[in-house]
Amino acid sequence: MRNLFNFIIRNSHWLVAILLVAFSFYLVFTHNSYQRSVYLTSANHLTGMFYTAADNITSFFFLKKSNQQLLERNAELEKELYALKADKDSVEVSDSGTLHAFFIDSLGTPQFDFIPAKVVNLSFSGVNNFITLNRGASNGIRPDMGVISQTGVVGVVSNVSPNFSVVIPVINPKFRLSARLKNSENYGSLSWDGKNIRTAQLRELPRHETFQEGDTVLTSFSRIFPKNLIIGYVSETGESGDDNFNTFNIHLATDFYTLQDVLVINDLFYEEQRELEEILQE
Amino acid sequence: MKLSYLYEIVLFVLLILLQVLLLNRISLFGLATPVLYGYFLLKLPMGRNLFFVIISAFLMGLLIDIFLNTPGMNAAAFTIVAALRKPVMDLFFEKEEYDEFVPGIYTAAGPFVRFTILMVFMHLTLLFFIESFTLFNLMSTLLRIITSAVITIVLIITMDSLMYRRKPSEHT
Repeated sequence: MRNLFNFIIRNSHWLVAILLVAFSFYLVFTHNSYQRSVYLTSANHLTGMFYTAADNITSFFFLKKSNQQLLERNAELEKELYALKADKDSVEVSDSGTLHAFFIDSLGTPQFDFIPAKVVNLSFSGVNNFITLNRGASNGIRPDMGVISQTGVVGVVSNVSPNFSVVIPVINPKFRLSARLKNSENYGSLSWDGKNIRTAQLRELPRHETFQEGDTVLTSFSRIFPKNLIIGYVSETGESGDDNFNTFNIHLATDFYTLQDVLVINDLFYEEQRELEEILQE
Repeated sequence: MKLSYLYEIVLFVLLILLQVLLLNRISLFGLATPVLYGYFLLKLPMGRNLFFVIISAFLMGLLIDIFLNTPGMNAAAFTIVAALRKPVMDLFFEKEEYDEFVPGIYTAAGPFVRFTILMVFMHLTLLFFIESFTLFNLMSTLLRIITSAVITIVLIITMDSLMYRRKPSEHT
């Protein structure tokens, strides 16, 4: 009997280790990004603070590039503005009487609103890539909002705390998005194979779909993103497991290595569309 | 004795911050990521209470998981490594050397390097396999393990020789 007790006491550290490992595996298998648990992720307050502090230092190194991007974007918008103004003028001259009413009607409420946010942490080392932003529920961010950068699509908000939010980026294996080539209406599914941060894969495009290197890839139907946002550019044909479908490698428009500022898309009609669509499913 | 605990707490915190704020953003050739926080287990006194070793390793893994949004992965891998630490030590060190002896490149070069290599490979193998349970092929996972392990081992040995250069007898 005493030997048995001694044996148990001598080996009880193994028991502790087994319990702790079992608990860890429980966490591994029960966790998924759709559970919205905040405490064990980087959306919690403490980790957010650390990341903000670190970002305050590192963001200096990218100031020049960010500035350049802002200038370019500004120039683009200015150009569009002038084009639109010119359009408006030309219409107004021909018929100014009825136009006033027409403009007020057609502008209406814009569907999309953009919430600017800063990236406080990027984790791109392995398979579970994610991005932490310094805006959260108190700034109007909720799960399932789309996130874009100056150059293209970034990802989808998954967890939100009062002041921080975690984004699942395009370069996470859990990310799926329907996408199409610019010159056609057939859409495929965009995902990432985990190999290269600059390259994602566009799958399930019909075989007859023609393409050229450098073709633009845009968002298709999605509840999360507006249509026709740039995702990236076709770089080459990839491996396809199915004879009827093509797979392309896409050079992503967003450079995740130097990502600093993003916009979170607030779809003002999201609830309305969701409710309408859910009526059918019931 | 007290100084040793204080030193371990500092090492614990610094290694976590180093891992989550700096090292985990590194991905050489899209493959290799240094995983340096395992250094903590290497620098604990060899005779340290096994419960202390296992529980502190679990806490460290869990904290890193919280920062990296990978609940359980680092905790599971690191706890297993901590539990296997003593059997691995028995392979490389003389039993008389135990108690408060801290292995290091200047105190026991050969055994320490072998100890480091085995521990790092165990840690990274567990970590990357847990991480890629559902995804990705065996070859790319193996490649990631090998490249990451090589970088980690080089970093650990470099760090150890720099940190303890002038005072090989301290912290024991």
